[in-house]
Amino acid sequence: MVPSSTMSENLDTLRADLRDWLAANAPRDWRDAASHAAFVAGQRAWFAQLAAAGYAIPHWPAQWPGGGRSLAAQKVIYEELARADAPRLLLTFVSTYHAFATLHECANADQQARYLPRILEGEIWCQGFSEPGAGSDLAAVRTKAVRQGDVYVVEGQKVWSTMAQHADRCLLLVRTSSDGPKQAGLTYLLMDMKAKGVTVRPIHQIQGDEEFAEIFLDGVEIPVSERVGEEGAGWAVAQATLASERGLTLMELAYRMRGNMFRLAEAIRAAGRANDAGVQRDFGRLTTRVDAVCALADRFLERRIAGEEAVGDASIVKNAYSGCLRAWADLGVRMGGMAAQHRSAITFGDLNTGNWMADFMNSYAWTIAGGSEEVQRNIIAERMLGMAREPKGWVAP
Amino acid sequence: MIERAELADAARQVFPADALMPARDASWRQVAELGWLMLDLPEDLGGLALGREALAAILLEMGKALPAAPLAPALLGLQAVVASPGLAEREGLIARICGGEYIPLNLLPGAVDHYQGRLTGTIPGVFEADMATHIIAGTADLYALIPLDTPGVTLTEHRLWDESRRLFDVVLDGFALRPELILADGQAAWELHDRLSITAQACVAADCLGGAEAVLAMTIDYLAARRQFDRPLAMFQALKHRVADMKIALTGAEALFWSRVSDPSSNPLQMGAMKAHCAQTFRDIAEDAIQLHGGIGLTQEHPCHHFFKRAFLNAQLCGPIEYWEEQTGKQALS
Repeated sequence: MVPSSTMSENLDTLRADLRDWLAANAPRDWRDAASHAAFVAGQRAWFAQLAAAGYAIPHWPAQWPGGGRSLAAQKVIYEELARADAPRLLLTFVSTYHAFATLHECANADQQARYLPRILEGEIWCQGFSEPGAGSDLAAVRTKAVRQGDVYVVEGQKVWSTMAQHADRCLLLVRTSSDGPKQAGLTYLLMDMKAKGVTVRPIHQIQGDEEFAEIFLDGVEIPVSERVGEEGAGWAVAQATLASERGLTLMELAYRMRGNMFRLAEAIRAAGRANDAGVQRDFGRLTTRVDAVCALADRFLERRIAGEEAVGDASIVKNAYSGCLRAWADLGVRMGGMAAQHRSAITFGDLNTGNWMADFMNSYAWTIAGGSEEVQRNIIAERMLGMAREPKGWVAP
Repeated sequence: MIERAELADAARQVFPADALMPARDASWRQVAELGWLMLDLPEDLGGLALGREALAAILLEMGKALPAAPLAPALLGLQAVVASPGLAEREGLIARICGGEYIPLNLLPGAVDHYQGRLTGTIPGVFEADMATHIIAGTADLYALIPLDTPGVTLTEHRLWDESRRLFDVVLDGFALRPELILADGQAAWELHDRLSITAQACVAADCLGGAEAVLAMTIDYLAARRQFDRPLAMFQALKHRVADMKIALTGAEALFWSRVSDPSSNPLQMGAMKAHCAQTFRDIAEDAIQLHGGIGLTQEHPCHHFFKRAFLNAQLCGPIEYWEEQTGKQALS
């Protein structure tokens, strides 16, 4: 084990190197992107730069260039990216977290060799889980896959797929059987978004963004070799995908939020409220709350790495983060005054757009997406604290 | 290094959470006999030098049982003596304190006039002062050892809503201060205050987290046992969601607590803000616990109210919640 003094020197070096690198390389005008095409081009270029410099995938294992970073080093990277006001990697978010975790934990060697290097080269993945009739109740997925020889033929509709309109591949959850418990009939496939029969329609969100899309699947043929796990094992594989969302991503987001506190402080000063005792209290309370969320994310990851993660732990981190993010944006809306009510042209789902009303609306993505706040509360109450489940079998009157 | 979990286990055996509000004098003797006062004492003074994490683990566990045994004020008194090399008979005093002689520090700000060698004023926030021989009176610019059995020193007890502890003012009326009783004055008193306040905030926050954990567990048990509409209350999603939010708040406060307690660079402001966060969390959980217990929660026949009242008192100790929130914001915006 590295002595802590050496460790902290290494972290200091990492921080200083990254700070210098960001000063020279971080995009500055990314909020001014005039079109979605410009935004996507900017995201691709920024990912390529970060990947080449070894900062894009600090959470991957050490065999990958830029991987194998300690938790402490990852935190330094996220804090410095936020401090430099560099854009978040929205476009490759699903690729580097969800797709990576699923492939790394559940896919066979062929699939890993085929897809993991491509992610590092910038391939974009999306997630095809939710459906119009399967949101919080994800196991109710109805998109149907029928095996015909060496392929599955897929019919159905997916929704809330982040950046699906730009994606090359999709993590697809489908129904291969209607017998038995609904979870047992699910299968996990990797789909080429350019395959015949795939149609994508972006969804215009509350803040005018097109972060999500619908995917229509009309007789899409997916080779059986693209199946992850056995037929009928899709629910377990999907848990690996979802766990990545509720774990590592939250550490990045929590430390990003902390790195972004300066934006809120600037807004308070700009509003002439820095000496207002009420605002000082609100900001002070939020500062400590953000630190608590960061400490919670730290502890969660330490427990996960030690193999001590318990059911509900990830739900606690997610709700603690999403509630805090809402409070963060809320104080911004208050300080932003009328300026925050002026519509910004385009926002791209980041949590620090520079427009507080847009940020406030964006914060709902974290209380609804990835398992809503309410679903997380049920998991905590029922599966962690042992509170009785409601009886099943409700019948429409 | 003894693990935090082992210390918590030891504390749980002495202060089981199902024996609330254990008799003060007997449990105080146990605390002294177990050597808990020596946990963070430097080794050259005969202590175990386990650090403040060890104290925090013990105090958090004790907090679940709502003890009157005043370990935190005694630890702070001891720390003040240890930090004052000029104090007369310091080593003898340390040995006596470790053996169970109770010499507490006040946990509310004191104000005294120091005029021609005599002290007049009030030192509030002294827990269980009736069992003390002396107190360490901490004020903004003076820390002094005050023998209680002395002319010019009287105790005034305030009856509290929180009946799990007793709280006194030590009133000084022309108390003759001898130089050998002074631990620190002027600038040295400020520095001592900063050092003590870090431990003090950790102690109060630990009590908050222990209390919050216990009253939350009590609430979950009650909701499982209480039946209405032919089902346990625990089955109602509206109540589940409130309990989940309590658990989320508690887990976040615990994470913040351990991160700051175990970080040697935590400063008094960070520790105060952490205590404020933990005290607010304890209050929120205790308030919801009363509501979720319904009618029985509003009586003295169920122990819920003891946690509720202790939470409100804790929020006042070592600087109220609003103070620390405001100071944190002021510094971050300066």
